[in-house]
Amino acid sequence: MIEVRDLVKSHGPLRVLDGVTLSVRRSEVAAVIGPSGGGKSTLLRCINGLENFEAGEVEVDQVRFAANGATPTNGNALRELRRRVGMVFQQFNLFPHMNVLDNITAGPRYVLNQSREMCEAEARQLLDRVGLADKLSAMPDQLSGGQQQRVAIARALAMKPEAILFDEPTSALDPRMSAEVISVITDLARSGQTMIVVTHAMGFARNVAHTVHVMHNGRIAESGGPNQIFDAPREEVTRAFLAQTKAI
Amino acid sequence: MTKPSCAASCALIVMLIAVSAAAADTLDQVKARGSLKWGGDASGGGPYIYQGDDNQLTGFEYELAQYVADKLGVKSEYVNWEWEMLPEILDRGTIDVVLNGYEWSEEREQLWSSTIPYYIYKLALMARGDDGSIAAWDDLAAKEGQPRKRVGVLAGSAAARYMEQRLGDAIELKKYPEVTSVMGLVEQGQLDATVQDVPIAIFYGKDFPKLHAVGEPQALGYYVAYVRHGDETLRERLNYGIRAAIEEGTLKRIYEKYGIWNADQEQLLEVGKSWPPKVEAAATQSANFGYYSSLLLRAAWTTVMLSFLSMPLAMLLGLLVAIGRLYGSWWVRVPLEGYVEFLRGTPLLLQLFVIYYLLPQLTGFSIPEFWAGVLGLAINYSAYEAENYRAGLLAIPRGQMEAALSLGMSTRTALRRVIIPQAVRIVIPPVTNDFIALFKDTSVCSMIAVVELTGMYRFLFQSHPRLMLEFGVMTALLYLAMSYPLSLVARRMETRFKQVHA
Repeated sequence: MIEVRDLVKSHGPLRVLDGVTLSVRRSEVAAVIGPSGGGKSTLLRCINGLENFEAGEVEVDQVRFAANGATPTNGNALRELRRRVGMVFQQFNLFPHMNVLDNITAGPRYVLNQSREMCEAEARQLLDRVGLADKLSAMPDQLSGGQQQRVAIARALAMKPEAILFDEPTSALDPRMSAEVISVITDLARSGQTMIVVTHAMGFARNVAHTVHVMHNGRIAESGGPNQIFDAPREEVTRAFLAQTKAI
Repeated sequence: MTKPSCAASCALIVMLIAVSAAAADTLDQVKARGSLKWGGDASGGGPYIYQGDDNQLTGFEYELAQYVADKLGVKSEYVNWEWEMLPEILDRGTIDVVLNGYEWSEEREQLWSSTIPYYIYKLALMARGDDGSIAAWDDLAAKEGQPRKRVGVLAGSAAARYMEQRLGDAIELKKYPEVTSVMGLVEQGQLDATVQDVPIAIFYGKDFPKLHAVGEPQALGYYVAYVRHGDETLRERLNYGIRAAIEEGTLKRIYEKYGIWNADQEQLLEVGKSWPPKVEAAATQSANFGYYSSLLLRAAWTTVMLSFLSMPLAMLLGLLVAIGRLYGSWWVRVPLEGYVEFLRGTPLLLQLFVIYYLLPQLTGFSIPEFWAGVLGLAINYSAYEAENYRAGLLAIPRGQMEAALSLGMSTRTALRRVIIPQAVRIVIPPVTNDFIALFKDTSVCSMIAVVELTGMYRFLFQSHPRLMLEFGVMTALLYLAMSYPLSLVARRMETRFKQVHA
C-alpha cells in the first residue's frame, strides 16, 4: 500500500534521512517512534510531498513519485497522491477563518468538487464519529486543543483517504485531551484504516500498532511487532530510547 | 508670563516687523539694495522668460525688466516662482514687482497697483490643420448630435476666463498647468483646439507644425506689471521706464526680435495716458457662495470617484503582484520586484505625466484625463498594496498552506480558499490607511487637467484672489468631511481585528 524505498534527504551537511525503506500494508497501523531529531516527521512529510528528497522513491497505491517530487512536471502526481493520503499535524492547522463544518468540507468541495449538501451530510457523520456533533458551527478558536485535533482528523477523513499520516498528533496536548484524541485514532485503527503514526505515546504504539519502527539518525534502526520492540528489543538504540522514555 | 500672552506678544512682534517692512518705501529699499527684485516663472516658457539656447535666461519680459531696472539705476534681480503664486510673494515682500504676462483685471487692480501696459495681447485659436470642423471661432460651439469640442487652456489665464464667459458649457474646457503640453495634446488629437495668448501661439506654433491659427485673434487685453498698494512711487518710476522703452523704440526692437510686434502695440502710449482704468469703488460683487459651493461639491464628487475607482484596482493589482512575488518562479519574481521598487521610488506626478502625455506619443493610444488619473493612482498604489499583501501573506503560518496542500488542493486553490481570505483580514487596517492617503493624493490629478477638489480650489482663487481664505476653508472642510468617516471605519476595523486575535 505504501512503499518507501531508499529515501535520502539532507539539510546542508546533515543527512536527515539516510536511506529509509519502509513498507505498510493495507489496514496496517504502523507506529514510528524514536528520539527527537531522528527524522520521523521528515519521513512523513516526504511521503506526501510536503518536503523534497534527493534520492529514493515513494509509492502509494500505484501513484509513484521519485526524488525532487515537487517539480511542476509531477505536480499532478503529487496532488493525486495527497488525495489518497491524509495528514494530521501536531499543531492541528485548522483553517481559522472557517467554522468546523467548512473546515471538514473544504477538501471534498474544493478538491473533489462535490456538492455542498452531500459534503455536509458526510461531515455531520464524521463529526459524530469523533464525538463533536454539537460543534458544527463553532470557530476553531472556540475549541480546546483536543477538540481541534479531532476536527482535524475528521477533515482528513472527509477525503476518504487510503491512508492517514499522523505527525505527533498528541504532542501539543495535555494528558486528558491526549486521551480523547488517542481514543479516536484507536477507533479508526480498529475499523481498518491504514495509517502511519509518528508518536511519543508509547501506550498507543504498544497497544494499537501492528508494526513499530524505531528511527535514529535518519535510519530505521529496528522494526517489528510491538511485543518484540518493547519486550525484546534487539538493537542497542531501541533499548537506550525505551530506557529514556521510562525514566521520564 | 502665561503661555497665551507669550504667544500673543510673539504674534505682535511678527506683525510689527511685517508692517514696518511694508511701511518703508519700497523705492528707497530698491535703491539702497541696488537691485529691483522682480518675479516671474521661467517654466511658463517663451517668449516671456525662458532659458535660451545658451542656457541663459532670456525673453521679452526679461529684456524689458533689465531695461527698466537700468532706467532706475539699479540691477535687475530675477526671482523665479510658481506663476500663480507670484502675487502672494509680492504681498509677502519677497519681490518688489510681478512682471510675467499678468493681464490687467478689475479684481487684481483692487488688490495691487498696475503699471501702464507694456503689451497689448489678443487670444489666438489654434487647431489641427487637417481638422476641417474648426474653421472659425464660431465652429467651437457644440452642434446638435455631435460631441462637444474639447478646448485646452492654461489654468488661470485670460483665455480660460474668456472661453468660460464666451462659450460656457457649449465646449468642454480643460485647464492645464503648462502651455506646451496643451499644444501637444491638440496635435495628438486628445484635444480639438487650444486658445492661447498671441505671443505664445507665435513662439511655440513653430514647434507644432500640425497646428494652425484659426480666424482672427480675439479679446484684447493688457499685460501690466503689479506692485503692492502704497508703492505708487515705485510704480511711477516703472511707468517712466516703460514709457521710455516705448518712446525710444527699444520696446519695438525687443518685440520684433521675438516676432511679437504688431499694429496693436502702436496704441500702448495712448492707452498708458489714462492708466489705470477707473475701477468702481469697492465693487462688492456679492460673492456667490452658493454657486462656488456647487462647483466645489461637484469637484469633490470627482475626487470621490477617482478614489473609489482606483483603490479597488490598486488592491487587485497589488494582490496579484504579491502572489507573483511570493509564489512565482524567478522570472516572475524579479520583474515584479523591479515593478514595486520602481513605482515606490518615483513620484506619482511623474507617473501621471508618463501615462497622460508620453504614452499617447509612444503608442498613439490616448486615455482621457480622468481615466489616466484612475490608472496612474491604481498603478502607483498597487506597489504599496503589493507590499501590504506580501506582509499579510507571510504572516500566515506555513502550516496553513501545508494543511491545504495535504488535502490535495493545488497551490492556486489553497491561496484562494485558505491563504488569501486570512491575509485579507490582516491587511485591512494598512489598506484602509492607504486608501485615506490615496484619497488625498487624488489632488495630484489636477496636474493632468482633472478638475478634482484641489484643482477647483486653485481655479477659484485664481479668479477670485480675495476669497482665497474662504475657498481654502471650504475645500479643507470638504476633504475632512470625506476622509474622517474613512478614518473612523479604519479605526473600527483595526480594533475589531485585534479583538478577534487577542
